[in-house]
Amino acid sequence: MNSLEKKERRKILFKKLKSEKILYLMLLPTIIYFIVFRVFPIFNMRLAFYKYNSRSPWTFVGLKYFRMIVSSPDFLQILKNTLVISFMKYILLFPAFPIFAILLNELRSSETRKLVQVISYLPHFLSWIVIAGIWISMLSVNGGVNEILHIFGLEKSIDFMTSKDWIKWVLYFCEGWRSLGWDSIIYFTAIIAINPSLYEAAEIDGASRWQIIKNIIYPALVIPMVTMFILNLGFFLNAGFDQVLNFSNDAVLSSIDILDTYIYRIGIQSGQYSLATAVSLIKGVVGVFLVLFTHFTSKKFTGKGVW
Amino acid sequence: MKLKKILNPKQLLLTLLLLFIALTMIVPLLNILALSLSSPESSVSMSGIRVIPKNLDFINYRIVFNHPVLMRSVFNSIYITVIGTLINISLTCLAAYALTRPNLTLKKPIMVFLIIMMLFDPGLVPEYLVVQDLGLMGSRWSVILITSVNVYYLVIMMRYFEGVPKDIIEAGTLDGLSHVNMLTKIIVPLSSAGIATITMFYSVIRWNEYFKASIYILNQKDTVLQVILRQFVVLGDTVSLIGQQNVFNYNDFARVDYNALKAATIIVAIIPILVIYPVVLKFYTKDALAGSIKE
Repeated sequence: MNSLEKKERRKILFKKLKSEKILYLMLLPTIIYFIVFRVFPIFNMRLAFYKYNSRSPWTFVGLKYFRMIVSSPDFLQILKNTLVISFMKYILLFPAFPIFAILLNELRSSETRKLVQVISYLPHFLSWIVIAGIWISMLSVNGGVNEILHIFGLEKSIDFMTSKDWIKWVLYFCEGWRSLGWDSIIYFTAIIAINPSLYEAAEIDGASRWQIIKNIIYPALVIPMVTMFILNLGFFLNAGFDQVLNFSNDAVLSSIDILDTYIYRIGIQSGQYSLATAVSLIKGVVGVFLVLFTHFTSKKFTGKGVW
Repeated sequence: MKLKKILNPKQLLLTLLLLFIALTMIVPLLNILALSLSSPESSVSMSGIRVIPKNLDFINYRIVFNHPVLMRSVFNSIYITVIGTLINISLTCLAAYALTRPNLTLKKPIMVFLIIMMLFDPGLVPEYLVVQDLGLMGSRWSVILITSVNVYYLVIMMRYFEGVPKDIIEAGTLDGLSHVNMLTKIIVPLSSAGIATITMFYSVIRWNEYFKASIYILNQKDTVLQVILRQFVVLGDTVSLIGQQNVFNYNDFARVDYNALKAATIIVAIIPILVIYPVVLKFYTKDALAGSIKE
């Protein structure tokens, strides 16, 4: 292509951009927002390799903070907690959502179903502070849960919130309590989108309810399940910061301390900016890797990526 | 026929199971409500699964609504929620409109930029330092501005805008409508369900926000309800609230049961959620609530 043609093309492009000026003006606040609150912080991540000075320029220290992290005994425990909590939430809750949707769909009485739906969607909208407040009270020694256990013959009260054995199960349960209804919506809408003629054909063939669930309903849930599974994998190292922060106390901190609460404690509360940034950087890199991994795996299996 | 349906043992078992799940979700909430509405003498020994108030008494709400720190934090929460949601929804609508125009030249690079921004989290301290450098530390604007646009909601808004019938947009273009008029007179009114849904999602996030407020708003007089609630209910810091005792009625204060007072504060934080919850049910979960076609 000769240079004249190139020039002509550029002129056309420029003209087009000029005619779209007002549209870019509409995008400008959003772009500025992301540059200021996302791109600038990304530049600040170089702090992981520098010693922080508030007045003078930061001094380069190389991998010092990464060595500190690797040699710290806390870090291994925290990484282990993060992985265990995240993994268990996956294992316990991921199947619960489609099962709840199937059970709702099996209910014949639409009034009862609506009642269960309206109640179960609500906890999703409560803040973790409110949820923590409610369950700290329910799970206390004199709380409702212990009362019910007494009815079933348990004599000694369990202090769930301060027990290292129980606190993780409290986290899993409360996560489920909050998200069971809301996160099952995607599966429930997939079920009601099933073509009714499939059911009719099955009824004519004399299929049992179980066979209908296995051969008609379950296949309709596979795609949303794969989508949700890979979408969540990218956030694997998060493990639920807001929940853990509000459910932890001195008695159980060591067994539920996760990467994000650690970053918060050393970074903001004790002002070790560089060390906290180094942990964030490790977490960010692993996160990007997980997102890319899920994107390409998803493309391969479902033909649909994250973007 | 109907009776036969209900008496079917499998259906009965299923109904009981689902009602049990619903009960575990609603009983803790109703218990907190009942606790907050009981007189302190009864609430101290009230059962943790009771859902009806014992000796109805509004003392806890009297204290909450007369408490200067709590009330100021409620107003701060309302202020941040209203201004913040307005910013959220304006920026999201503007960007969604521009990005859904056919053949926008730079659409692809801008979308890639936004998705990278959504997926990559630079972490707490790098963001903290930016807020510091901008001089926003301690200002309520830090919390308002730091969550101005959510890419996920922007993408959902784009789907709603794409649902506006093409021929209406073409007619508007033929009439020589400017982009601003097209957005405000055609797209926004025709996507009202979508805008209601996204506004509601944004406002819930705003109202429930506590973490950024707790690190960026330094002065107690500027902080939000969730932060105070956290101090009081989660961290069990009753001192900062008792410190205000001279301002409320001495008799009320001597009687108070802290757990019931905590319950009342929790209820105050839930009320706005309950107000907008019907909007969610009406617009977002409409299809799910309508149930399957087979009936």
